[in-house]
Formats: sequence, structure tokens, C-alpha cells
Amino acid sequence: MDSRSENRKLWLLLGLLAALSLSLFLIPAFIIRPFRYQSESALALAIAVKRIAPALSLAALAGVLALGLRLWRSSSKLLRSGFVVTLVLGAASAVMVRQNYFEWMFHPITAAGFVSAGDARLSDKEMVMAVQVGPEARAYPIVQMAYHHILNDTVVGVPIAVTY
Amino acid sequence: MWKRTARGRELHFYLAGINNQNFLMRDRETGSWWQQVTGRAIAGELAGSALELMPNDELTFGLWKSETPQGRALVLAPVSGHEKDYDKEWEKEVAKYPVPLTFPGQGLKDRDVVLGIVIGGQARAFPLEKVRGASPVDDKIGGVPVALVTGPDGESVRIFRSQWNGLDIELYRDAQNPEWRLVDSQGNTWNFTGCATSGPAAGQCLEKINFLKDYWFDWKNYNPQTTVYSH
Repeated sequence: MDSRSENRKLWLLLGLLAALSLSLFLIPAFIIRPFRYQSESALALAIAVKRIAPALSLAALAGVLALGLRLWRSSSKLLRSGFVVTLVLGAASAVMVRQNYFEWMFHPITAAGFVSAGDARLSDKEMVMAVQVGPEARAYPIVQMAYHHILNDTVVGVPIAVTY
Repeated sequence: MWKRTARGRELHFYLAGINNQNFLMRDRETGSWWQQVTGRAIAGELAGSALELMPNDELTFGLWKSETPQGRALVLAPVSGHEKDYDKEWEKEVAKYPVPLTFPGQGLKDRDVVLGIVIGGQARAFPLEKVRGASPVDDKIGGVPVALVTGPDGESVRIFRSQWNGLDIELYRDAQNPEWRLVDSQGNTWNFTGCATSGPAAGQCLEKINFLKDYWFDWKNYNPQTTVYSH
């Protein structure tokens, strides 16, 4: 096999690895997006991709890097810059598949604070979610929960997830 | 609201995505994926598990305070730095959002708010507007008599099994009385916590029925066989 056709195959492989790397981020990001219908099978696909994405995106990035270095010397300037762009995109994808951008939009409550009912600065008209465990009552203002969405709380030893 | 234990393990949840405008959460312990509205794990190690419902009320702060003895009553404080994210107009904003699914034909608009009840496998949706307009609403689901009651604040809703001493009772608002109360044909009076304040049942309480306050499209999506209350 002459080296030119071999190089072409290696470039093709590099391109495929780059596409794989990007789709590991983009497929779930596209499927799990607001205001759109998700079928059960599409959601299952998105979750399956998310599961393998952290490991596979690193492997794809390593492959792109190895192939690029091997092809570097025999490549034109254009191909070299193409390789650098691909590498940057692959690295960005490997970073993004590790991010939970839903928590960028809606910050979680890491340490919940509570005030007594008398000290709470809430108007009487505001809605709260209320629980009672034994003698203890807790209220979660809905305007707060509608933003944070989830609170892991424990009331008199009972672990609960307040969700809204 | 859920108890955050499954298969004997305590779990900690975090927001992980969205599915047909209903959020997905994952637990830190196993990474399993859960649908918030159903409390069921749909993928991961715990797939198939279901969280147990934590009984709770949705009340106005004023009513909650009046029902709760001071001292052991705590309110979640705003997280500092996020005060601006708490949008008091969020309900109006969300009402404008597009919906991923639509279910015409049962007389409700996609984002109409319904109170959903499931008893003995039978699901029924009660439009919130109707419940607030004609409280109490008496109905039967799967043979079980229920009363949907709007409280003294005109906002908070509770649902009770309208059965006492093995007999079905019908509850009425006693509008003559200056104090908010319900009466029945057995001579009992009941307060908004569902407990009898006078009459033969004095001191006893009706069973509270869990329900979900939800948008029509979401309720119908997870309860395809649901009927709609329409009296």
C-alpha cells in the first residue's frame, strides 16, 4: 500500500473519531432539551450515550491525537490546522460530557438553611409545600423550589426529596 | 415529594435533565435516572425501583402558620445570591411555554392545572378552577367517596376520603358560620385539617388523599386512562 492511500485512510479514521467524539456530547444534548417531545426510545438512547460518553470521549480524543501526530509531518498546513481544530473540538466534547449544565441553569441547594416561621420573610399569600413528621413541621416556599427544583432534606430522621 | 430511600439505601438526588417538560434526576449513590413526577427509576442500577410518596400539603404560608404550632415550625431560607432567581411570576411565565405533547378531546387546555388522584388504579383529573369555584367538590373514584376542599384562604386545597365510621358522608360548607367549617348530615363539624371539631366524630380525623397538582398534558401523559371530573 502506498503511503498516500494509507494516509487518506488514517485521515478518514481521524475524522470518524472526531465525529464520534462530538456526537457523544451532541446526541444527548439534542434529545434531552426543553419544550420538545422525547419518545421513550430516544430518551433511552440519550441515557445510554451519556453512560459511555465519559470513557469513550477520552478514548476518541487519544485516538485523534495519536493519528494527528503520526500524520503531522506528511501534512499540508491546511490539514495541520484541520487537525488542531478537530483536537480542540474533541477536547471540548470530552469536557462537556462531564458537565451537568442543567445545574448551571438551576443551581442546587448545597446547604439548606432554615428560619423559624415567625422570622420568615414571606407574605401570607405565598404558597409553600409543607410536611409534618412527628412534632416538626417544615415549609418549602414554592417560588424557591420552582427554581432549585430539588432539595435533599432530613426531617426528624426521615430522608426526603422535596421536588418541584 | 418523595422519601429518598430505595432498596434500603439512602439516596441524594440532583437535577439531571428534562423529559417532556418534566424533570429527570439522578442519585449520587448509583447514578440511576429517575423521573421526578412518577418517582420511578427509568435507567441505571435502580431501574424499576419506585420511591415512596412523602405526604405533603401545598398551602399558603398564612394558613400553614395558623395550623402549625410555633417553635417546631421551620421555613426553608432563600439561598443567598439566588434571591433574583426566585421569580414570583413564574406560574404566568410557565403558562406561556410551549408543550411537548397535547391531548385535546377531554375539554381541557394543555396547561390547565388539574388535581390528579389515583385510587385503586383509577385516575381522575379535577380542574383546579372547578375545585376552587365549587368547594367542596364531592365525587367517587373507584367506589371511594372523596371531597376536594378549598381552605379558608381560598387557595389551599386538601382532599379527604369522605367516610366516617364506615359510612359515606357528604360535606358542605357552613357559610352561615363566621368561622370556616364544614358540616355533614351526621351533625359533625370539620375543620380544614379534616378533623371533627364537634358532633359524634369530635376529635377524629378524615383520611387525607394524596394528589398531584399538575398540568393537564403532563397528567394525561402519565395517566393515559384518566377521566376528567365534569359536573
